[in-house]
Order: sequence, then structure tokens, then C-alpha cells
Amino acid sequence: MNNIDDIFKKSANSIHQLDLRQIPFTESPVDNNTLDRIFTGREAELGKVFNLFQGRDRRRIYIYGRIGIGKTVFLLEVLSALHRNLPKMLSAYISLPANLDLATTALIALAKAMPDDEWAQRQLYQMGIPTEISLKERTSEISASLGLGAKSGEKDLPVTKPLYPAVSLETLIERALIKYPAGVAIAIDDLDKQNPSVVRQLMHDAQGMLKGKAWFLLTGHPMGMTRDLLTSERGLFDLQLPLEELDQPTTYKMLINYLNSERINNKCDDPKDPRSVLPFLPETAKKLCEVSLGKPRLFNRLGITILNTATALQVKIITPEVLEKSLKAAELSLRQKAALTAQEERVRAFLQEHGNISDETISMQDLEQLGFRAYNEVLPILERLEEADLAHQLNQDDTKIFAPILLPIGQAVPSIKN
Amino acid sequence: MGSKGFGGQPEPTEKSRQFILAFKKAMDEDTHQFFCSHLSDLNESLLKDLPLLFCELTKNKKEQYVIAIMFGNFGLSLKQFPLGDRSLNMELGLMALQLVLKVFTRRAFPQDWAKIQNNLGAAYKNYIRGDRADNLEKAIATYELALQIYTREAFSKDWAGTQNNLGIAYIDRIRGDREDNLERAIAAYELALQIYTREAFPKDWAGTQNNLGTAYCKRIRGDRGDNLERAIAAYELALQIYTREAFPEDWAGTQNNLGNAYKDRIRGDRGDNLERAIAAYELALQIYTREAFPKDWAGTQNNLGIAYKDRIRGDRGDNLEKAIFALKLASQIHTREALPEDWAMTQYNLGNVYSDRIQGERADNLEKAIHFFNQAADVFTQKAFPEKWATNQAALAEALMKRAALTNNIQDLVSAIELLQSALIFAVVGSPDFIDTQYRLGKALSRHYEYSHNADDLQQAMQAYEIALEAISPEHYDLKQIWKALPTTQAILGSRLIRDGQWQEGLQLLLNSLTQLKTGDDPLDHANALYQTARGYEVLSDWDNARLFYRDALRLYAHLNDLLGITQSREGLGSVLVSQGYLDKGSVELVQARDNYLQLQKADRAQQVDNIYKAAQRALERQAVEVYA
Repeated sequence: MNNIDDIFKKSANSIHQLDLRQIPFTESPVDNNTLDRIFTGREAELGKVFNLFQGRDRRRIYIYGRIGIGKTVFLLEVLSALHRNLPKMLSAYISLPANLDLATTALIALAKAMPDDEWAQRQLYQMGIPTEISLKERTSEISASLGLGAKSGEKDLPVTKPLYPAVSLETLIERALIKYPAGVAIAIDDLDKQNPSVVRQLMHDAQGMLKGKAWFLLTGHPMGMTRDLLTSERGLFDLQLPLEELDQPTTYKMLINYLNSERINNKCDDPKDPRSVLPFLPETAKKLCEVSLGKPRLFNRLGITILNTATALQVKIITPEVLEKSLKAAELSLRQKAALTAQEERVRAFLQEHGNISDETISMQDLEQLGFRAYNEVLPILERLEEADLAHQLNQDDTKIFAPILLPIGQAVPSIKN
Repeated sequence: MGSKGFGGQPEPTEKSRQFILAFKKAMDEDTHQFFCSHLSDLNESLLKDLPLLFCELTKNKKEQYVIAIMFGNFGLSLKQFPLGDRSLNMELGLMALQLVLKVFTRRAFPQDWAKIQNNLGAAYKNYIRGDRADNLEKAIATYELALQIYTREAFSKDWAGTQNNLGIAYIDRIRGDREDNLERAIAAYELALQIYTREAFPKDWAGTQNNLGTAYCKRIRGDRGDNLERAIAAYELALQIYTREAFPEDWAGTQNNLGNAYKDRIRGDRGDNLERAIAAYELALQIYTREAFPKDWAGTQNNLGIAYKDRIRGDRGDNLEKAIFALKLASQIHTREALPEDWAMTQYNLGNVYSDRIQGERADNLEKAIHFFNQAADVFTQKAFPEKWATNQAALAEALMKRAALTNNIQDLVSAIELLQSALIFAVVGSPDFIDTQYRLGKALSRHYEYSHNADDLQQAMQAYEIALEAISPEHYDLKQIWKALPTTQAILGSRLIRDGQWQEGLQLLLNSLTQLKTGDDPLDHANALYQTARGYEVLSDWDNARLFYRDALRLYAHLNDLLGITQSREGLGSVLVSQGYLDKGSVELVQARDNYLQLQKADRAQQVDNIYKAAQRALERQAVEVYA
């Protein structure tokens, strides 16, 4: 066994010391089994969504919330439940690609969910998307000589975009409904990754499609929507579902679920039992929940850094001192990962110094100090900071107010010079 | 020597004779190489001798066809030869083709005759000498002649090719009604596409799609937004065949065109469109290098410069630096001697960028802007280019006004006023330039009033503003020029479009205007645009954004001590807060707005606000009753 393998084993052992097979926290998508084990809370929201699936009417559901609040996971959990409980319903998921309209996006999602349908696969092929079936076009020529038979040949199909994606989608839904009489549900995720005015336009253009024969679940943000699109009376959506930050007890329960999903021994899911949050102590577990502000993505990011720090320090328990070190490392890591421009850093520092910034209270002097004349110009930077988990928007409906994420400030380790 | 003795027929020179015979021998080889090594023989003397040579050589009836074919090849290869005197080469080529028709007559050789007519048409279209308008008329006439033989039924491919060429000629046509010419071009391309299908003739199909895209970009009839969407769709189709690997030059050309369409696009998100334009130009520049395609490279650099000037994303200061960089590259090829009109356009564009430049010393930037506009004025004279002259005048006036604000030099203001008044004499009433020039004149006069205290100045200023405002109407505004309009015009047009129900376009204009005004010299213009944007969002029932922008407008108006602006913003903010159910906060704003309106002696407005305030109070009382019930 060579040295490198030893290092690997040592690293694995450090995690095992914490009674974990591997670090359970992740920012990447997880498989359905893991998702079912770690998904926590949101019972009221799930109930509202599932109620809509108890009737025949096709429904349009818009799930919105801040970045990192768990929209994708919520959507996947809904689809997973539908899959288990309504086996005669077909569900399809896709993250909205850039520069694509909603009808073509839905068409791709549905076609991918129908691998055995040749017409569906042909649609994908014509769009240049790889399929499992190799498709060929048959041609035939009659040979010049009299009396001799025809010969046939094959050539690859040319790649073209669908001219009428909405019509193609409608056709595909009809085909799906033959095999799946309980219905078709199409989930389009990540509308909030696009520019709000682009999303507004996409929605306007997709009104016909959204009123068609499938259930639609979309995730995004409310910022880009106009009232007429949102209201159910003359608008598009039967349900607009906000996802808010999780409360502390739910976040604590979520921590337990995450840890249990990779615990080697002694699984325990009683929140009152300190063993349920090992290798955390109850106080450090609570601190993690507080600092992550009920935002699942921040929770995962901090969790990864905390466990990495713990393994680096070769500890078995995450004490307050270990946690403090970890959170400092996390703060530094978040800042480095964000790669802020000078202007963004100025805004971040201002936010840190002042505690919060809002469109209601900021002064001209403050704006000039930051190099702006209007708050709407600072807003994209604040949202970028939020995306990088360096700021968060407080829940006040009559103002746009941002506060810093309260982590202890980490110091960059100076490089050693000869 | 050309002639022999007194009264005899003129004869070609021996030199010309030898040259043509040498070409006959070299015809099947590399004609480009041949012309390179006989550059000095391509001269005016040859031009005089060509018809004489043709006459002499075709006297022998057995040889006449061979000679005619030789002259045809000579004409075709020479008209594209890039070295030497291009205009002379074209004229030699044109003459040679005309001579061929003496042998290949319509009666005897209809198909060849039609082919030569088609080639002649292309030659006339590109001909530099003589009157351009005339040349284009000749081009169109010869294409029409070709189409008498090239019918769809008998010669479908040639027919389609000639339709395509006819379309190109109509695009450039100077005579006739411009709108009509463009419609004819589009019709010709559509006819060509009936034969040039993607499956049968992919390259020709792609070429015609590209041309169709250009026609839609220029189209006057129909909805501007629609036309640009069609242009983009046509370019995208062309790019399915014009791939970089297979047809790099055509691919680059189409990318450049696509960039232009996105730069002018009205639909969709303006920020996105400009990013796509920049990306397309950058792709084109991968093939359009300075060494290989200097003219195209320069043209694309110029376009890239304009796109960076208008860019919304990224840091504005940086974007303007990139614009300057690209425009300066363009001006290395767009020299005054070689390409005066392109040179002048690049000077004008540089003037605009320096006028807005954020980095560097302000005074220095404005000096440079004024210098560039003056340079452009040397070519964009009122006689030669009346519209461009007027636009340039107005931009120069703007730069002078900015300098006046910096240095308190009243003479600059006076010069600006004179420039604007003279530009207005030649402006088309109601056109975008007219509107912007009136607006600028109003601004210049009101600034002059601050020095002169002459009531006439103020009155004329108000008049100018009113004329500008009245002329901005969504039905009549030439949207083709919207992105060149002053940001203040964009803001006003934007708010009117929203009022008229064109929400998306209106909002795009408002947001675009803010991009420029936020770093501009006039914070009052910025405050006004913020206010208009807030109102736009309010009409769209986007309360969150309406509130955000009303607060921004209010803050800036307060900073500028503009009481009317403060009052209107408080009214808007109050109204939005009340609509959202924040009755207390909304009422506070409404009360202040009402009292301010009274102070401004606007009793009607005060009354309106008071009505909303009282309704909010009643709602508050009802809420209180419900709570205690």
C-alpha cells in the first residue's frame, strides 16, 4: 500500500471517527432515496400541492422563494411522492436552459421521460439532443436499369429546431395520456436563474401552453411577475406557493435527518436526545441552525465546512471552539468563492458595518459613498451577495432590506515567503 | 499609336493587342496571377482599345464565339480583381461583358444572353464610376431582362439566382420609394426561396436567408418589432448551413448581421439582446481578422464599439473604455482618404462615447468629444449628408452644453443654441432627431436663462420642451431609431407605451434610459426617469418595483430640492403603499404630498391626493373597528 492510499484511508477514518460514513451535507442533487431520508418540514406546503392533485382539473402551480430556500428539493420531493402514489401519472423534470422558451423546454422534459416512445425520441433527435435510440431516415432509389429492383439506403436525419414547439408538446402530451391516464405533470425549475424580464416574457408567451392538458409546476421568484400573471382569476396559476425560511425546530430536525442518513452506528432521531445530533453537541447544533437562518443551501454549505474542519482537526466532537473555527473558515470560503468585484466588496463591507440596508432608510450620502445614485442599482449586488450567502433579505414586505450573514470574520492565512 | 493616317478607322494599340492575346493564352490558368503580372497593362488606354480589339478579333466569323467567350471570362475575372485601380478594373469588366452581347444575342443564344445580363447586373451594382443611382437602375433593368429568359419553369435555378440578385439591387436602390424598394427586395428573396430550398440548394438557401434577414432589418413597412424578429430568425436559419467549419467567411458575415439585429432588437430584454449582439460580433471577429478582411474587420469593430456604448450589463465605465478601444481599431482602416463616410461615422461614434466617458478627466473627455464631432462635420456636410449633419450638430451641441456646465462658459451655451436651431431648420418635423433636438434646445435655453435672466429664454425653452413632448407619440415614433434616441426621450416614450398597453416595450425603454442616465451629468433627468419607471411599474401592478423606484425618485428629488418631484413621488409612493395595505405608512406619504401640492398652488392635485388619503383613513377606521369588535 503506498503513501497516497494511506492518506486516503486516514481521511476516510477521520470521517468515520465522527460516526459517519461520509459527509452528509451537499450542494449537489441527491438521488430519490437519500432525498426521502433528508427532506424535512414543509408539511403545510406539501399538503397544499397534493390537494390539487386530488381532482381531475389540470393545475398550474408556481413555487417561489429566495435563492437557496429549497425550491428544487421541494419540487423533486413532490415528484417523488407523485411517482409513488400515482403510478399512472407521468412526471417530468427539467431545469430551464438559457435562451429556450417554455414550450420547447417542456417538450424536451416530456420527451426525455418517454424513452420508449419513438415519436418523442425523434423530437429530441431533431433538436440535436442525444437519444438512446439511433434514428435513421430511409430513402430509396430505383436503379436505372429496367427490371432490376430498388435499392434502399439510409442517411442521418438533419438537425432542426421545432418550428411549433407548443403544437409538438400538445401532441406529445396526448401520446403520454394514452399510457398514463392519471395525467402528465411537467416540472420546470430554476426560472429564478434567468433575468426577471426574460421570465416575464416567457410566461406571456407560454400562456396557451400552461392552459393545456398537463399539470405544470414551476419554480422561480415573484420579482419578475406582474399581478395579472399571478392571480388565479384571470392569470395563469392556480396556486402560488411561497417557500419561507425553515423555523429553528425544523432546521434542527433536518440536521438530525442529514446525520442519520450517513450515521454508522447508534441512529437516533429524538430531538430531545443529545445523541441525535452527534458529532455536534446540542448547543453547537443549535448554533448551526441559527446561523444558517433556515436556508437549506446555507445550512449545507456551513455543514460541509464544519465537518471538513472537524476532520482536519481530528476531533470526534464539534465543540463551541471547533464550531467557531469552522464558521470563520466558512466565512472566508464564502467570500473567496464569491470572487467579489471591488464594488461588490464595498457593498458587503458597508452591510457588515451598518447591520442592514433598505430602500426605505438608505440616504443619498450612503449611496454616494457606495458609488451609486439609487438603491435599485445596489439591489443586484445585494442579490448577488445573497446568492453567495454573504447577505440575506429580511422578511419585510414593505421594504427591501438586507442584512449580513452573521458569521465570525475569517482571516486569510498569509503566505509564507522565503 | 492608336490611329493610322488621316481619316482612317482608329485602331487599337499594339500593346493592348498583345495583352489581350496573352490573356487568351493564359485564360485557362490562373487569371489572378496573370493580372498581377500585367498590372501596368490595365489602364485607360486598354479601356479605349477594348471595343476596337473586339471588333477586330470578331471579324473572323469562325473565331467570333471563342473571342466572345474569352472577353466574357476577361470581364468576369477582372471585375473582381482587387489590385490596381478598382474602378478601372470594374469598368473594363463591364465593357467586356457588354461587348460579348454583340455576339451572344438574345435571338441566337437566349440562355447565354440571359447569363451575361445577370452578370452585367452584378457588375452595374458594384460599379464605382458614374452616378450610383443610375448604376443601380441599370442593374435592376438588366436583371429584369435576364428574367425574361430565366423563367421559373424553364431555368428554375437561374431564375432563383437572378431573383436573389434583384433583391440585393433593390435593397441598395436609391431611386423610387424606399419603402417600396424594400418590399420588392423581400418579395424577390421569397421567390428565390421557392427554388432555393434547404434540401436542394443548401448554400444558396443560406445565402438568401441571410439576405432576407438584412431586408427585414431595414424594412420600413409593418411592425418594427416583428421585422427584427423575422430578421433574427432568417439569420439563425442561414447559420444552420453557414457553419464556421464549412463556410467561415459567410458564417462571419452572418454573425455580424445577427449582431446588428440583436443590437436594434425591440422585443425581449435589452440587456440580453446587447449581450447577444456583442457575442455575435466577437464570433465574427474570429474570422474577420485585420490581415485577412480589413474592411469587414473594421466594420465589425465599429459595430462592437456601438454595442459596448449601449451595453447595460457590467460596469458602465469599463464598457465605454471597450467601446473606445473598438472604435479606434475601426478607424485604423476607416481612414478619411480611403473610406470617408465610414471614417466620419466612426468619428461621430467616438464623439458620443467620449461625451459620456466616465474614466479620465471630464474636461479632457469633452474636448476630445468636441474634436471628434468637428472632424465628422468635415465629411457630414449639410449638402452631402443632411440627416447625418443634423445628428452630428446636435451631438456637438450636447457636448458643448456639458462643457459649459463644467466650465461655466456661456459662449459654449450660445454656440450650442445656434447649432441646435440650425439643425432644426432641416429636421423632419416629428422625427426622432427633431424631438431630441427640440429637447436639447429647451435644455440649452433654460440653462442660458440661468445666466441671462431673460424671460424670452425661458419662454422659448418651455416651447421647445412642449414641442418635443407633443411629438413623442407611440403611434408615430420611428421605432427603428429608438436606441439612438436621447435617454430622456426613451423614458417619456416608454411611459407612454405603458400607458397605451405596450407594457413590455415600454418597460424596456424605461430601464434602458436609466442605464445611461444613472451615470450621466444631469441628476434631474435621472430622477425624472426613476419617477417615470415607478409609474410604469405601478400601471403594471408590480407594487414592489413601483415602491422601490418611487423611493429612489423621492430620495434624488429631495437631494436636488425639487419640490414638484418630491411631491409627485410621495403621492405615488403613498398610493402604492395604500394599495398594498400599508395604510399607516401610505397615509403619511399622502398627507405630505397633499400639503406640498397646496404649497405649489396645485389645488386640483391636492384634492385628488386628499381623496385617496381619506379613503385610506376610512379603511384604517374599519380595520380598528373589526379588531375591537
